[in-house]
Amino acid sequence: MTERILEVLQRRNLWRLVIAAGAIALISYPLLSDDLYYQNMIIISLLFAIGATGLNVIMGYGGYISLGQSAFIGLGAYTVGIGATKVGGDPFVWVPVAGVAAALFAAFLGVIAMRTRGFSFVIITIAALFILQIVAINWDSLTNGTSGITLPLPRWDISIQNWPFYYTLVGLLGASLLLSWWIRRTKIGTGLLAIREDEDKAATIGIDTPVYKIIGFVASAVFLGMAGGVYGYYLSFIDPSGMFDIVISVQIILAVVLGGRGTLWGPVLGAAIIEPLNEVANQNFGGGNSRLLIFGGLLALTILLLPKGIIPSGRELLEGRTRRGRAALVGVRLGPRAALNETPAPVPAPSGRTLLEVDGLEKRFEGVHAVRACSFAVEEGTITGLIGPNGSGKTTVFNLVGGTMRADAGEVRFDDRRIDRLPPWRRAYAGLGRTFQITRIFPGMTVLENVVAPLRSFSWRQLRAGAVSGEETATASGLLEFVGMQEYGDQPAAELSFGQRKLVELAQVLMLDPKLILLDEPAGGINPTLIARIAEIVRELNDRGKTFLIVEHNMPLVLGLCDPVLVLARGSCISSGGPSEIQRDPRVLDAYLGEDFELEQPVGAP
Amino acid sequence: MTEFIQATAFGLLIGGVYALFASGLTLIFGVMKVINIAHGALLILGAFLTFTLWDELGIDPLAAILITTPAMFAFGYLLYLTMIRPLRGAPLSSTVLLTFGLALVFEAAMGLIWGNESRSARPSYFDQSFDVAGIVLPKAQVYACAVAILVLSLLWIFLTRTWAGRAIRAASANTEGASLVGVNIAGVSALTFAVGVATVGAAGSMVSVLYPFLPGSHYIWIARVLSIIVLGGLGSLKGAVVGAALLGLAEVYTQTYISASWATAVPYLLIFIVLFVRPQGLMGTRLREDVAV
Amino acid sequence: MAEMLSLRGVVAGYGAGDVLQGVDVTVQSESVTCIVGPNGAGKSTVLRAVSGLLRPSAGSIEFKQRDICRSSPAEILSLGISQVPQSDGLFANLTVRENVLMGAYIVRRERKLVERRLAEVGELFPLVSERGEERAGNLSGGQRRQVEFARSLMLDPTLVMLDEPSVGLDPKALKVVAGAFQRMVEAGKTLLVIEQNVRFGLRMATQGVVMESGRVLMEDRADAVLENPEMTDLFFGGTATAAPQAPAKG
Repeated sequence: MTERILEVLQRRNLWRLVIAAGAIALISYPLLSDDLYYQNMIIISLLFAIGATGLNVIMGYGGYISLGQSAFIGLGAYTVGIGATKVGGDPFVWVPVAGVAAALFAAFLGVIAMRTRGFSFVIITIAALFILQIVAINWDSLTNGTSGITLPLPRWDISIQNWPFYYTLVGLLGASLLLSWWIRRTKIGTGLLAIREDEDKAATIGIDTPVYKIIGFVASAVFLGMAGGVYGYYLSFIDPSGMFDIVISVQIILAVVLGGRGTLWGPVLGAAIIEPLNEVANQNFGGGNSRLLIFGGLLALTILLLPKGIIPSGRELLEGRTRRGRAALVGVRLGPRAALNETPAPVPAPSGRTLLEVDGLEKRFEGVHAVRACSFAVEEGTITGLIGPNGSGKTTVFNLVGGTMRADAGEVRFDDRRIDRLPPWRRAYAGLGRTFQITRIFPGMTVLENVVAPLRSFSWRQLRAGAVSGEETATASGLLEFVGMQEYGDQPAAELSFGQRKLVELAQVLMLDPKLILLDEPAGGINPTLIARIAEIVRELNDRGKTFLIVEHNMPLVLGLCDPVLVLARGSCISSGGPSEIQRDPRVLDAYLGEDFELEQPVGAP
Repeated sequence: MTEFIQATAFGLLIGGVYALFASGLTLIFGVMKVINIAHGALLILGAFLTFTLWDELGIDPLAAILITTPAMFAFGYLLYLTMIRPLRGAPLSSTVLLTFGLALVFEAAMGLIWGNESRSARPSYFDQSFDVAGIVLPKAQVYACAVAILVLSLLWIFLTRTWAGRAIRAASANTEGASLVGVNIAGVSALTFAVGVATVGAAGSMVSVLYPFLPGSHYIWIARVLSIIVLGGLGSLKGAVVGAALLGLAEVYTQTYISASWATAVPYLLIFIVLFVRPQGLMGTRLREDVAV
Repeated sequence: MAEMLSLRGVVAGYGAGDVLQGVDVTVQSESVTCIVGPNGAGKSTVLRAVSGLLRPSAGSIEFKQRDICRSSPAEILSLGISQVPQSDGLFANLTVRENVLMGAYIVRRERKLVERRLAEVGELFPLVSERGEERAGNLSGGQRRQVEFARSLMLDPTLVMLDEPSVGLDPKALKVVAGAFQRMVEAGKTLLVIEQNVRFGLRMATQGVVMESGRVLMEDRADAVLENPEMTDLFFGGTATAAPQAPAKG
């Protein structure tokens, strides 16, 4: 019996029906009932829902928390208020302007705070909310200060009551949901998800992180600004404390967290729960402190007890019961590989041309001179090895070349261009790809989504393109076949084994169609069969003109696969040459075995 | 000129109290990497406790730190065990949201217990001043700053001369290294949190004399501590002290030379300006997570 | 000479696959035993197993004839085994003296003992008193290493385990480290050292152990191991076990 119920609950169509019914009820309600009280409740819920749906874009998808969303409500309301009273015209005409104002402000905040990761963004969003409030209080020539702006009463027929407000907000909610849905299925969405999961990694696969974050934040603001304008007109009184209310910010956040971050309908569900609570607080407990207590407390409790939110937790519960044996798929022997099905381009013979040149690189960490005066060159068309003992600086060099770290001094030139000042995504666009020593893929996405995520260039048009669609999907699937992971396209990446992740990461990098691929310990932690497969893959790609620079400890692999081999020791490149030369080079032997070390007196006694 | 010296002196005096206020947050962040948004509310809680002691029992507010500090220590410990520790493995965003929620809960609780009117503790020296060579220094500020410096010194001694303090600093530098020498990281986290809350309670006692406050005041204090972070960085106590001094001076200069009402905007403006010019914060420590491999 | 530490048939790993696949190592008291081997051989894992951070799934680890397989890191500390981790064990923001003091953290209540130990350690490592009040993060690599050694001696351990003490050090600093080892042995300590710098490690040691792919390949007097021609093979080209030869490019 329970099985049957669960099965029914899992059917998508059931939920679609529920949503459709809800939408119909929402739209028809004012037509059927005169009750202003409930209409008011719904209007406020709509405001929350719009705010939450927007916040979900930057917080749910992107992982960046904004504590000050009500700043946009206030900004929108004041735009409408000031516009209608000081310039003239119907307030509704000013509503789109409110949206623009909110969007611009969000872009401004984004430019300030989103160039870096970390806490700056949270700090800025709180600061923005309060500073706007202070400006509203103090700039009274514009805003009337604490006296507020009173809007003229609506001029439409009284029998229509609140319909204009109501339906405008319904429309805005619809637009907001549409935007959220659209973002999620375009490259902006996958970019934001990638940023949320692993921002540094996202940068290395061509995602221009500041731009994406700012877009996400603007998306969270624009409809909320418009809704704020409507809300202000609805109240017909716009003042600093009512419009820049921190509690509304909390309610919006709570709606997202409670309903479920990252889902489309979670924020709406959350808003539908929050508003009745709001009413309860106002009616029974006299508002004020009880509102704070309820909503602050609920936020804390939700984080502690139901951090994922209702919809994701509900899904997990349902899926946990019914999923059988899919996990067993993972970890099975690797599937067969296919050849690259690109039309083989005429492969130029190794030209002897230098593709990557590193000159005098320096990098110090506290007390450790990791890379010192490091210089070497990688010739186009080669599979070049980079070896060296522990602490010789290999991974740091990779980080400096790839762009996840900035050098203290020195230059990196790729394809005849200096790249050492470029952020990681520009290096990706230039044709540089890299894998990580500890494999990094995006656990929250499927394998296919992972491989489709990388971008070869930046274009506004491309952002709008579907995330998993058409040509790219074909290319990505082809790459998955090439590495032998085609069976796992729909698998959540989190469930893969270590070796499988390596293959997926490789496919990701190949998606960039890079000229040079930096492989960081490709053979680390995997079995010999997989090592052989990776070697095969590298050879095939090299035959088609791709250059490789491989850091490895596995000597047989390096000596069999790479030519030339560069040797790093103590942060500098001390030797380079063919594998057999390297093996006989006394400097290299010294580096690995240790320079000939003589003690003055022997230690201890045998 | 006297005006400038007076403003500077005033700003530094205030800065001393701000430094004490911010020290708790910095300490907590150093060990647990948690930004406690409820920090401002805890400050106001300390202020209310002090006010009650003064109002009901006539205890001098500055002397009341002898009571509020241990009380807040215990409260902080309790808070850690019930709220913070359960979130140990969770991403940082969770603690930000949690402490945000808690801040509001505290605000509401204080409103329910003490009401929402503005309060201020007014001991006898409340409106008296020292006159030092033509510069007027309100006694309350001087005493408060003196006490703040005293408490900060005690904190410093605790951190540098006791084993517990060293354990806290070691854990904040290198958690794995610390557990290898036998430091109980969970215990140290609890202690650090409690100490952080205790210092903010002490700062609250001072605030009760210096500023009128009500439950909703914690927002301006959150802004102040965030601005101190942006100015001085999240990493070190020294940074917190420098940031606090800078903020104090900025506020007082604005108040003297521009207007009192714009002075309330100073913390926010500083945040915007500094982050615009230098996204990693002025002292560059840890506002921007530096790149991991 | 007595057997201080012995591992027999130790199998241990981190979930997906065992890093150690049956390891036998014997450490004699008052000696320096050095484990060498290519990357991934499992050398650091041996230390983790002994220090209680990793529990073996099979085999035995005995310290002074007492089984320590199930002991916690704190217990192992109190039994007299201390460890100097590979890198980043220093508390950069604490002073040199404070760093060393933290070594005695678990006996911190015994004031006099701690003071005495600090003085004794200070004699072995004059750096501790000479630059005691300096911030540890400002020291050079070799000096930092010394501070870590000094710290590891505060509990007067019988066995000191060092994970790649030579990493990132230049030859001058290595000489300093060698001298430090000497003083420790003269003070009666037993050292178990993991080293990637083979020559340094084996010249320092009395006993040498070579590991590869989770097993011990050879165990002999250090100088004998160093002279063994199979050693070079191990690091370049061939290996003693069957690793796949990637087919030659062509």
